[in-house]
Amino acid sequence: MAIDEDPEGHEIAALDAMVSFASRRVLEIGCGDGRLTERYAHDAASVVAIDPDADAISALAMVLPKVDARAIGFEELRLPPASIDIVLFAWSL
Amino acid sequence: MVDALRRAHRMVNPAGSVVDLHPSAAPASVEVAGCRTGHVDADDAPLRHAAAGVALAAVIEEVLFAVDRTVVFSFYTYGDTIEELRDHVVENWRNARIGDETVERTREVLRSASGVRPRIREEVHLTTLRPLTPRSARGAAVVA
Repeated sequence: MAIDEDPEGHEIAALDAMVSFASRRVLEIGCGDGRLTERYAHDAASVVAIDPDADAISALAMVLPKVDARAIGFEELRLPPASIDIVLFAWSL
Repeated sequence: MVDALRRAHRMVNPAGSVVDLHPSAAPASVEVAGCRTGHVDADDAPLRHAAAGVALAAVIEEVLFAVDRTVVFSFYTYGDTIEELRDHVVENWRNARIGDETVERTREVLRSASGVRPRIREEVHLTTLRPLTPRSARGAAVVA
């Protein structure tokens, strides 16, 4: 089985052209197993990544241990006001 | 969706950004070597994806955000076979499938195109939003 999603990197190229993740505090909503997260997390100051799918979050946490990965919905997330530099709705709106 | 954007507005730094990625309301197409062989049937996806656009328009109307930039790009998912793509869609997409007719047509094209992998093409909209404060919102309204 070899499913390849966006091997050309069109998604991260489009993102990089629009925003810089360097030293930014990022919240990703709908991160799934971290397919997109792993492409920018190394640049960010911090990443909170949430998804209601607990299995997907476990997979993300294994690959990206520095990411604050939480198996919750956005409505359950509590963060201080103005504490995030980039809020990313990853195919989740 | 509008509530989620309002929550994002509270969490984001006034100098920060909200970024939305969502597929267009058009059906995803199945392709071989750039030729369309069919599409992905998705029960409610067009409505859901259109609703994302409506939600963005609503928070702009509320003067919570201003659009910085929008870009559209193609997102491709490749499989070794059309059957692999078909199974992937059933297992990972919400209420979606590749129909038998598209599977058969793709098989036929693949038989005459050695070394080519079938793929799904989705058109994705990327929008960056700038949060507006009451002061900047007044400025945005004047500019508009």
